[in-house]
Amino acid sequence: MKQGNNINGRDFREMFTAATNWLEKSVSDIDALNVFPVPDGDTGTNMLLTMHSTIEEADRTPNGKISVVSQAMAKGALIGARGNSGVILSQIWCGLAQGLAGKDDFNGCDLANALSQASVMAYKGLSNPVEGTILTVIKDAAAAAQEQAAKDKNDVISVMEAVVNAANESVANTPRLLPVLKEAGVVDAGGQGLYTLLEGALRYLNGEAELMQFRKPQMIASNIPLTPLVFMAPERVAVEEIPFGYCTEFMLKGQELNPDKLRKRLKKKGESLIVVGDESTVRVHIHTLDPGNVIRYVTSMGTMHGVSIRNMDEQHQDFLEMQKQRAPATGVAIVAVVPGERLSEVFSSLGVTAVVPGGQTMNPSTKDLLQAAEQSASDKVIILPNNKNIVLTAGQVQSLTTKQVKVVPSKTIPQGVAALLAFDYEADFETNVSIMTEALSTVKSIEVTHAIRSTRLNGLSIKKKQAIGFLDGALIAVGDKTAEVVYEVLAKAEPDKADVVTIYYGDEAKEAEANAINETISTQYPNLQVEVVNGGQPHYKYIISIE
Amino acid sequence: MAVKIVTDSTSDITSDLAQKLGITVVPLTVSFGHESFLDRVDITTDEFYRRLAKESAFPTTTQPAPGAFIEVYDRLAKETDEILTIVISSKLSGTYQSATNAKNIVGNKCHIEVIDSAKVAMGLGLIVIAAAEAAQSGASLDEVMAAVNTRIPRSHLVIYFETLQYLAKGGRIGKAKGLLGAMLSIKQILTLKDGEIAPLTQRRSKPAGMEYMHSFVARFPKIEKLAVEYCTTPEDVDKLAELLSPLFPKEQIYQSTVSPVLGAYAGPGALAVSVLEAGE
Repeated sequence: MKQGNNINGRDFREMFTAATNWLEKSVSDIDALNVFPVPDGDTGTNMLLTMHSTIEEADRTPNGKISVVSQAMAKGALIGARGNSGVILSQIWCGLAQGLAGKDDFNGCDLANALSQASVMAYKGLSNPVEGTILTVIKDAAAAAQEQAAKDKNDVISVMEAVVNAANESVANTPRLLPVLKEAGVVDAGGQGLYTLLEGALRYLNGEAELMQFRKPQMIASNIPLTPLVFMAPERVAVEEIPFGYCTEFMLKGQELNPDKLRKRLKKKGESLIVVGDESTVRVHIHTLDPGNVIRYVTSMGTMHGVSIRNMDEQHQDFLEMQKQRAPATGVAIVAVVPGERLSEVFSSLGVTAVVPGGQTMNPSTKDLLQAAEQSASDKVIILPNNKNIVLTAGQVQSLTTKQVKVVPSKTIPQGVAALLAFDYEADFETNVSIMTEALSTVKSIEVTHAIRSTRLNGLSIKKKQAIGFLDGALIAVGDKTAEVVYEVLAKAEPDKADVVTIYYGDEAKEAEANAINETISTQYPNLQVEVVNGGQPHYKYIISIE
Repeated sequence: MAVKIVTDSTSDITSDLAQKLGITVVPLTVSFGHESFLDRVDITTDEFYRRLAKESAFPTTTQPAPGAFIEVYDRLAKETDEILTIVISSKLSGTYQSATNAKNIVGNKCHIEVIDSAKVAMGLGLIVIAAAEAAQSGASLDEVMAAVNTRIPRSHLVIYFETLQYLAKGGRIGKAKGLLGAMLSIKQILTLKDGEIAPLTQRRSKPAGMEYMHSFVARFPKIEKLAVEYCTTPEDVDKLAELLSPLFPKEQIYQSTVSPVLGAYAGPGALAVSVLEAGE
């Protein structure tokens, strides 16, 4: 489909649906670029998920006017925004929608103006805008659009071509503007993601929809010599809504039962399926919308025992009731973003009202946080993001709810715990927000993970698989032995001024090693009270708090 | 004839102070198995904790029998015709019931009033001290009662716990129930709200807990009386008094021990600070 003339809402939606599919093809490459603001390798994923929500919302409107469609897309982006890049992308969509307001369709000049508005919004959304990122790319793209539109205001394609060329150059230039990119030898991941989207949109306009299915987007090389780097392959943990229905459990007794076959058959009938047993007895657990169907199917195989069918919607209601009862007397709910079940239990045991699964490499969306805030029994909600990359997302929740929502910007798990503990049951909402925010600085956080590629960062030369240690987000130690890296970072965290050290060991760490680290630290710093907790967190072998 | 002030042993008023201010303290009872001790009379806090460490069974506590109050009322009635009894929160102990029953039995021999302080420990003790001071200066029963009633909402208690297990075992955990089972070692800081134990905040260490206690006291611009108490760690009470001295003259800070009956719930290592806010 060749589009030379004005573009309406329907075309616009198709154009960015194609662009989103285009982006999807290079998600893992973009994730691999991610070093700023934290090298967690999830920028591509976050942008893609944000775009999915953007397109979904656009699909919901039957209206073909560009003003209506772009408005829907802005809403979808805002609700689905994940991670820093997703939040900035959502600002870009808001700007585009503002720029296209009141129009049925748009020409090249309208597009240029909308892009300028998008650039302004993107910068406005950040308290501390940094150049050499997606921000610079949208700014350069918008400037190029203005220039081209001044020459020919009617030709959308020529404006888009100018936009894509300028974005390409701008991405290639990002390492010159942002030292951390230069040091790591990569271009900015968010900028690359935006370029890929714009380029995909242009290709669609040029009628390359079919061709795009067989090709892959181009990754832009820096215009200075580079070596690529990645820290961790992003782990994708879905934060999907639990499909409610009936939790169905029973024991099946019979002869020549085949658990494997049964498992295969039941798989299509529901979720969370567990089938265990042998030829004579099989235990089945399944979440299904139609328990009758499951039971009909198995009764022919043997006799059923201990049948239990529970309505999970009711269970969910009970859970909500329980949450209401748990709400402290002050009527403030605390929502925390926590990775892994074990750490979630720790947070729950310390009094959080709701845990949203997420963290490094698995940022929850604004919608996930919004949902948790909406479901809490209280009208006043405090969010603990517990990760630098989720702070911005959390900040968006307030604009989407009538509840009072405040973010206590905890950037690490230890900060989250410190803030949570500082909660004062006798203080009011505002006071608690300030008490908890103050508590963030009472704790130092150590995070230890491993590099999955060789690189240089912060003046340290890092080899693949080596342990790397961060103190309050700054990479300060690297080594072959995880424990040695722990000691090195700890020594820089003023342990002699602290009272308590808590070691949360992750799912990749061994309890024995954690205990050995405890022993060494306790011997070296006899005044410290050291505690070892099975945090079971992904990504970080050790998270350590010093307070 | 001056009003006589009666309280119970959970006010943590030392015998010296009681004597000096003419306060009669009716003891509760703490028992290990079949062996019973009158609180602060038959057993000191030190002895109690030495015993607690050795015993496998959890100690039990009992309110004073109405008879204990009757005895006190009968004796005091010979010296005065007005008695004011101020006791531990009725949500924590049946002492109020015993004192009231005793009052009804003693009848018209003497004008007796019983006030449920909704407090405990020095949170109660500071109110009792203020009442005794008013009585000593010649205030009438009505005036002393007014002095007590205006002070009840101004008396604030913060208790630092090394562990909540004693409070939970003794069934006095109140609204702090949700704090049990924390998966980190946490020091709970609780208060008394509407006469019941209620959560206040949590810290990871004793120094951080003490710092919180300091910030709690610092909230009150004007302080009438201040008290610090310990269970097993007298050195902590010195530290606390030192820490609080910029807020209130150190020599005027009452220092006491948490009585054995309360100690059965507070557990070793607990510390308490009570603030009596000055009125307008």
